[in-house]
Amino acid sequence: MIFEDIYELYWPKIFRLCMGYVNNAEQAQDLAQETFIIVWQQLPKFRNESSIGTWIFRIASNNCLKQIEKEKRFAKAELPIHLEEKKQESMEPQIQLLYQFISELPETDRIIISLELEEVRQAEIAGIVGLSESNIRVRIHRIKEKLTKKFKENGY
Amino acid sequence: MATNIDFKDLWKQQTSEKPSIEELLGRLKKFKNENLRKLLITNILLIITCLFIGFIWYYYEPRLITTKIGIVLVILAMVIFLFAYNKLLSPIYKLDTTQTNTEYLHSLYSLKNKHKFIQTTMLNLYFIMLFAGISLYMYEYASKMKMIYGISAYLLTFLWIAFNWFYLRPRIIKKQQAKLNGLIDKFEEMNDQLKD
Repeated sequence: MIFEDIYELYWPKIFRLCMGYVNNAEQAQDLAQETFIIVWQQLPKFRNESSIGTWIFRIASNNCLKQIEKEKRFAKAELPIHLEEKKQESMEPQIQLLYQFISELPETDRIIISLELEEVRQAEIAGIVGLSESNIRVRIHRIKEKLTKKFKENGY
Repeated sequence: MATNIDFKDLWKQQTSEKPSIEELLGRLKKFKNENLRKLLITNILLIITCLFIGFIWYYYEPRLITTKIGIVLVILAMVIFLFAYNKLLSPIYKLDTTQTNTEYLHSLYSLKNKHKFIQTTMLNLYFIMLFAGISLYMYEYASKMKMIYGISAYLLTFLWIAFNWFYLRPRIIKKQQAKLNGLIDKFEEMNDQLKD
């Protein structure tokens, strides 16, 4: 697969995954860009052992999990300045709430629910996270309950 | 009332401008240059140190074997320290990012523990070699002085060594470990999230 196609197809998905993880558009952009830099570097080594989706999502989610390390080291890391940001205020409050609630979940749950909402098959999520499919199913169920509860508490 | 919020629909409405490929690759280049610069700086420092000690060797023409051993020990201490430090930052220690999250978190956790061990061991080794080297190196020159000056020179050196070993070293280790321990705890917690 050509990098350009992968980038085109996966950028929105990876961005949302990162956004669910950090709930900060700037940081999510940064994490997503890092992911694609790794993808660019690693692509020649990709051997079709897993699907390309699984492979990319693994890189992206691992990069998110690792970002705590950078929080301290590059607290003032320069961010791409000229990236036009979509106005967050204009977004529906429900969308903002959803991302906020997800980013408040335990780290690994953030990844699991993001993949589920991205409509990644549960067997594939299991392959990305490294848990059994049944375990993933139970977790997704619990996370959705949690999210619904939080929405209710906020009057939805 | 059961709320029926379509999470998937909400989720998909989040969008973001995709940076151009050129911009993305520009960033990659910047990363690479930064790493190269870091590597260059440490290695230039290393070469300067070696040249400086070589100059002393040549200029003062030490006679005793203790002086030479001392010089070698000091150089070795610095070389080993810089080497280990370079290695800690090098891609050899980069983890395979295409593992599953479970495997990845586990490797992150053990890598940080390994870092902690290497940092402490290397620092101890560095100080020991440096002190031993300096003490040996001094002998030739101290032995030529009057007894009282020779002894005071050693006394002062040992005081300085004691200050480094008992005050500075523990502080450096504590500082290094505080950061690593924070990370280790966090990674351990994330590992636990995946256990049932």
